[in-house]
Order: sequence, then C-alpha cells, then structure tokens
Amino acid sequence: MIRSIAQKEFVSTLRDRRFAVLSALVLVLLLAATLVGRASFRTLQRERQTAQGTVNEQFRNQPARHPHRVAHYGSFAFRPKSGLSLLDGGVDSFTGSAVYLEAHQQNSVNFSQAQQSGSLIRFGEMTVAFVLQLLVPLLIIFLCFGAFTQERETGTLKLLLSQGVSMRQVAWGKIAGYGQAVALVVTPALVLAAALLFTGEEFASNTDLVARLALFGLGYAVYFFLIVVGSVVVSARQSSSRTALVLLLGLWILGGIILPKATANLGATLYPTITKAQLDADVHEAAQHGIDGHDPHDKRAEALKANLLKKYGVDSEEKLPVSLAGVQMAAGEEYSAKVYQQHFAELNATYERQNRLSDWAGLLNPYQAIRPLSMGLAGSDFAHYVHFQQAAEAYRYALVQRLNGLQAGMGYGDKERRLDAATWRELPVFAYQAPAVGWALPRLLLPVAALLLWAAGLSWLGLRLISKSSVE
Amino acid sequence: MHLFRILFFYEWRHFRAARGLVLLCGLLLATGLYGIYYGTTEIARQRTQLAALPELTRRNVAELQVKFPGPADAGDIGYYHSTFAVHHPDPWAALSLGLRDVNPSYVKLRLLGLHNQLYATDNANPMKLLSGNFDLAFVLVYLLPLLIIALGFNLLSAEREEGILTLLLAQPVRPLTVVAAKLAFRLALVLGLAGLLSVVGMLWAGVPLDGRVASWLALTVLYCLFWFGVVLVVTAWQRPSAVNAVALLGVWLVLVVLVPSLLNLSVAAARPVPQGLELTIRQREEIHAGWDKPKTETMNRFFALYPQWRDTATIRERFVWRWYYAFQHLGDQAVASQAAAYARGLQARYNLVEQLNLLSPAINAQSSFNALAGSDLPTHLAFQRSATRYHDALRAFYYPFLFRKTEFTHADYAREPTHSFTSPPELTTAQHGLLKLLLSVAAVCGLGLLLLRLRPITPR
Repeated sequence: MIRSIAQKEFVSTLRDRRFAVLSALVLVLLLAATLVGRASFRTLQRERQTAQGTVNEQFRNQPARHPHRVAHYGSFAFRPKSGLSLLDGGVDSFTGSAVYLEAHQQNSVNFSQAQQSGSLIRFGEMTVAFVLQLLVPLLIIFLCFGAFTQERETGTLKLLLSQGVSMRQVAWGKIAGYGQAVALVVTPALVLAAALLFTGEEFASNTDLVARLALFGLGYAVYFFLIVVGSVVVSARQSSSRTALVLLLGLWILGGIILPKATANLGATLYPTITKAQLDADVHEAAQHGIDGHDPHDKRAEALKANLLKKYGVDSEEKLPVSLAGVQMAAGEEYSAKVYQQHFAELNATYERQNRLSDWAGLLNPYQAIRPLSMGLAGSDFAHYVHFQQAAEAYRYALVQRLNGLQAGMGYGDKERRLDAATWRELPVFAYQAPAVGWALPRLLLPVAALLLWAAGLSWLGLRLISKSSVE
Repeated sequence: MHLFRILFFYEWRHFRAARGLVLLCGLLLATGLYGIYYGTTEIARQRTQLAALPELTRRNVAELQVKFPGPADAGDIGYYHSTFAVHHPDPWAALSLGLRDVNPSYVKLRLLGLHNQLYATDNANPMKLLSGNFDLAFVLVYLLPLLIIALGFNLLSAEREEGILTLLLAQPVRPLTVVAAKLAFRLALVLGLAGLLSVVGMLWAGVPLDGRVASWLALTVLYCLFWFGVVLVVTAWQRPSAVNAVALLGVWLVLVVLVPSLLNLSVAAARPVPQGLELTIRQREEIHAGWDKPKTETMNRFFALYPQWRDTATIRERFVWRWYYAFQHLGDQAVASQAAAYARGLQARYNLVEQLNLLSPAINAQSSFNALAGSDLPTHLAFQRSATRYHDALRAFYYPFLFRKTEFTHADYAREPTHSFTSPPELTTAQHGLLKLLLSVAAVCGLGLLLLRLRPITPR
C-alpha cells in the first residue's frame, strides 16, 4: 500500500506543472553552479600553482647571499583549493590564499576574495552547496506543504483511510514518493559533479575524494529526508494548506537566514577576537622579556654564549668553530616561534569557541548541521584552513632554522661572507598535502550527530504526531 | 473617504485578531533591535580597539627610549618604530556595517616598503565573516520584505477563499477602495515599524542630525514601497493564496539571493582584478635585489625621484640606513603602477555593480545604506590612499635625519606625524540609489495599477 501511495505521489508530482518548472529551475541552477564552481576552481588553482611555482623558482635561483638575508627574503605558501571545494566553497572566499613566510614572524593569510568582491559577496555565493542547502529545501516545502492539507481540503483523506491504511502508512507513502521526486532533481547534478571531478586530470583515481564525495551525497540525502519528513508532519498537523505553507516558509527563513547569522554574531560578541596589532605587541613583549616575564632576551643571549664557549672549551667568540650569531638566531627563532604558537593557539581557540555556538545550534536547526558537515567534507571549513596555516608555519620554521644552521656553520665573521647560489637549490620547497577524510571526520561528529538526531527524531516523533492528528 | 476609513479600521481589528501576524511584527521588531544592538556594539568594539592603538605606539616608543637612551641613528628608529594609520568609523556605520569586518580598520606602518604592509589583514574569524553582519541594514533589506510578503500574500485571496469577498463586494464599495484600504493599512504598519527601528537605531548610534537622516528614511520608505508594489502586482493577478505566496517568495529569492550572487560571478568575470599577490611578490623581488645591486646605481635612481638629497655624501660604508630605505622605496616605486591597477580594478568592479544594481532593489538599497554609512569599498580604498599619504609623510619626516645625518633625540618622537581618517559618506552614490529605487517603485506600481485596470476584481 505504501508503495502505491508513493507511486501516486511521484507520478502526480511529475504531472504538476508548477513542480516541473521549479525543479527544472533548481536543476539548471545546480548544473550551472557546478560548472561555474569548476571554472573558478580551475582558475584559482592555476593562479595559485603558477604563483607557487614562481616563488619557488625565485627562491631556487637566488644569487649568492648570506643565509640570514635569505631567511628575510623568505617564501610564500599558497593554499591549494581542495577538490570538493568546487561544490562547497565554505570559508575559502574569506580566508585569503597566501601567507608570506619570513624569519622572526608569522604573518596573516592575505588577499581574500571577499575583499575583492565588494558588498555583493554578502548576499551569498552561487555554489552547489548553496543550492542544496537552501533552494532544494524550498523546493521540498513547495512540494510537500499540501501533502495532507490538500487531501483534507478535497476530502480524499477519508476515502484513503477507509481503504484500511493507517495515517502512518499514508505518511510513509508520501515521504517515499516525494523523496523520489527530490532525488530525480538532485541526482543528475551530483552525478555531473562526480563526472567532472573524476575526469579532470587533477583528480583521477583519488580514493580520498571518492570517499568525501560519497559522504557528501549521503549527508545531503539525510538532510533532504528530514526536510521531507518535517514538511509532511507540518502539513498533517495544520488544517489549511495556507497556514502549512506559511509556517514552513517561516521555519525556512528562521533556520536558513536568521539563526546562522545571529549565532555567528552572538559568538563574536561573547568571545571577542584580539586585534592583530595587540597580538603582535603581546608576542613581541613575550619574546623580548621572556614568556613568564623573568628572562629577558639579553640574558638568554649571554647564557647561550657562555654555554657555547664552555662546550667548545674556548675563551672567546673568535675561536668558536660556529658562528655565535647563527646559533643565537636559531635559539631566538625557536623561542619566538614558541611564543607565536602559544598566541595563535589562543586566537584559534577563541575562533573555535565562537564557532562552537553555531555548531551546537545544529541541534536546533538542521541547516546549521549540514553546513559545517558539507564544508568539512569539501575540505573548505575552518579546521582545514587551520591545518594549512600550521603546515605553512611548520615549513617556515624548518626553513628558517635550516638557514640559521647554515649561518652557524659559516663560523666566526659570517656577516662578511655569502653562501654559493647552489645552496638554495638544495632547500625543500613548500608542498601542501591536504588532510584525508579520516582526519576530518572526527571533527564533524557534532554535525553528523545533530543531523542523525534530527532524522531519527522527526521520523519517530513526527510520525507519532501524524498518526494522532485529525482526519478532518 | 469615509468608507476607506471604515475598511482601514476593520483591517486593524483583523490584524489584532490574527495572532500570527502580531507575532511576526514583534519578531521583526526584536530582530531589528538585535541588529541595532549588534551594530552599535560592533562599532563600539572597533572604536575601543582603535583607541588602544596609540597606547601600543607609546609602549613601542618607551621601549625604544630604553634601547637607545641617547641620541640615536634615525635609521634604527625607523626600523623598529611602528605607528598606525587608523580608519575611524562614522557613527552611521553602526546601522550598516558594510565591509568593515572584511577590511582592516587600521594599518601598522614602519618606515619600510609600503605595499607589504598596506594589505595586511586584521584577525578575523572566517566563519563569522561567512555568516555576515546582523545589522539594521540587514533587517531592513532582507527581512522587512519578508514581513511585507507575509502581510500581503493573501490580501484579497484570503477573503475570496473564505467567501467574504462576495459579501464585501455586494456592498456599495469599489473593489479598488478595498485593495487601497488594505494596502494602506499594511503600508502604515510596515512604515511605522521601519521608521521606529530607524529612529531608535539613529538615536542609539548617536548619528549627527544631518541630511543623511532624510536620505536613510527616504531609502527605507522607497524600499518598502517597492515591495508593496510587488504585492500589488501579485494581488492584481488574482490567484489563490498559495500561488501568491510562492510567487512573492520567488521574487524575493530572485532579487535578494539569485541576482546578487549571479551578478557577483559575472562582475568578477567581466572586470578581472590583477592579483594583489603578484604585486607583493614583485615588490619582494625588487626590495631584496636592492642588497645585491651597486649602491651608486640604487642611489642615483632614488635621487632622480628626490633630487633634493642629491648633494648628500656618497656611500662608502658596507651598510648605511639611507641606502636601505632608498631601495625599500624603490621597491614600492617598482610596483606603484600595479598597485594603482589593483585599486582601479576594485573600483571598476564597484562601479559596474553600481550600474547594474538597478536589476535588484535589494542590492541597490544595501549599497546605498553602506554608502551613507561610509562602510563600503570606495571608503576603504580612500583609507588606503590616506594611509599611503601618511607613509609618504613619515618618509618625509625621516629623510632629513637620514640624509643630513641628524641624530634622532627623544624629543623627536613627539614631532613624528600621526594619522587619522574618518569614513566620509558617499552622498552621490546614495542619491543615485534613491533615484534608482524611485524608478523601481514607479515600475512595479505602474505595472500593478495597469493589471488592476485590465483585470477587474472578481468575487470568485
């Protein structure tokens, strides 16, 4: 019986001209967003690869220089776009794409697309995720708001129930039928996305990407399922189609537009972010006067010199086999990097606290559960961004320390000398490996749990409500 | 007229009875107040942050005075001493934060090359930036139309579906009077809410009472009128409530969500901006090559720009600060045209959006609000130009010390130039916005009236 109700809903949905127009629109938008996403992905990826190649070449082809000059010359780390970011751009437009790596300090990641887009970006970006997260639920609402109310208004619900089916069976039949209709709209776009992803030479035979895409599709399937169930439940509990529609649209606006913004803004109010200027000043303070305020820079330098003299059993700097300046540079870098790490960890912890509010709101609002899940799987969320930041910092630190080591090895009077141009060719260049899905999943437990809770809760509680709701 | 008053009054009684609508208005009022609260606290926070910057500079000076107790080489001071170019918000920014969260509100400057300092971002949580600001402008531009839609989607259709319209039109009343009274009531309600929120916002933010008050209110009224015009068109179309709701929400979706994001894509494609990155990479290359070039070559290039220092002593030392700062500046010079192209590209994008926002009154209203509040891209570019001039002033201050080999004393810190910049409003943009909104209002209202004339209102 459920099957034949599902069949009836599916067929009558397809015959409905309004649905045909709307779903064609959504499908076109999805396909367009996929193609646009791929085009912009390719451009950005190419730009960043070229830029990374350029700076790497420049670094390798430096003339003979003193290693500390090279440490100040530094390098750039460009963040490659993750494969699935063509489906969900996440925070990518707001993070900037490159960080300047140099001795003594950690720089911010500059030049975000948002800074180049003006106010328009505030209205949202046309991505596949945007269509899936906001427009498809709207389509579902338009599809389902009359599920029960229309039957009631035309009196067919009584006829249906007189056939010996229960309200619950009718509800499941309708959910299945609408589910098929939604799948019909969404699947082609996801298949196209998959085809685009796996025919491009960048992605051929990438199992991590396959896993991410599969989970991405699965996540959205659960999301659409719970929205179909929710709409059917609302329709069953309301007496007229009009109130059902208005209520559902109200929920859509609240969940999709008001709540995400409100929680993000509330988070920023509750846990204020320290300014870069203040952070730099604090770092400088700590690096100069010791992390705990007792151990000034000069004292550390003195102790280091004394230790070094003792270690090599000599009485003056000139007799040391290593350059004191180089050794001091390395010790200073180690110290300042530690200070930076501490302060950046605090800053990121503040951000995490701000974001956690939104994540917990996922328990109230499914949109705020699918959003972090989607960008987490696409590799474009905050955690992936921090991963890049840390990889860039690890590279910066290793590079600077290696250069400091080279300087130390030059011995006393190193300042007057330079190392051969060939030296720079032996240093490794920055290469970023984005983390695998296994790394991302544990960070996405809360949204996954929220989504599953919603799906299970709605199926259980909602269907109970339906079986209790009136026939009239 | 008497009839109109009666109808208007009955609408009020209907409205009071419809608890959902009262709740909705209350919700809008609450979100509006939260928007004002958030906007004002955000601007207050930015003010506090900017106010803390002179203290950072003072601490920096105090540290340098310990490090260099006597008269010092100005080159050392220029290297270690940092000051700030600050972008103070206009009080109006509290109502329309615009891009003040994406773009930094200060730039930390040392005497070194400008361009790798000018584009440094402030700390910002990208997730927060992605979600955007919850300010009064957001409530007015995004949410107010939704209230108008909720109030107007069943203007006549509800009466028809409940069978009341037949009875109503059986009375000696023209259908147009009924529509007019219903619309007028809702218009009064929405304008009352929007006006109340705007006035509360202005008082809360403490805006100066200048011509912008009238501009803000006029923008708000016109924007509401536009959405009522859309409601009028849909009402005149005379379809069932559910169809009306879908149509109105569809219009909202197209104008507030789809057109802006498609416009964003097309503008980015039509006006490609030269990457800022290329600029910083090139500048780094130029500056660091400065170390390896013959000093006389560098100095001669510098003297071509600053002939007044040509007669200073020839450099024979291995390192001297005036040579160092000379090649820093030459690094800036090498990318000056690229930097100008970058700023021009951003401005060109903005201008194109200004031309095309006739397509969506929502974009138009948002950018007009931002223009009034001085929180949009052109203001940020103006701030960057101002910061550039400040950097020029700093160099002009230090050059005599460096080239005349004057010693830098503790008293000289106080003589150093300082910087302050407050967002100017872009009044012409706002005026154009008003004109374009007026055009949109005329278009939809004209269409609505035409439809009403062509399709007489039927009871069923």
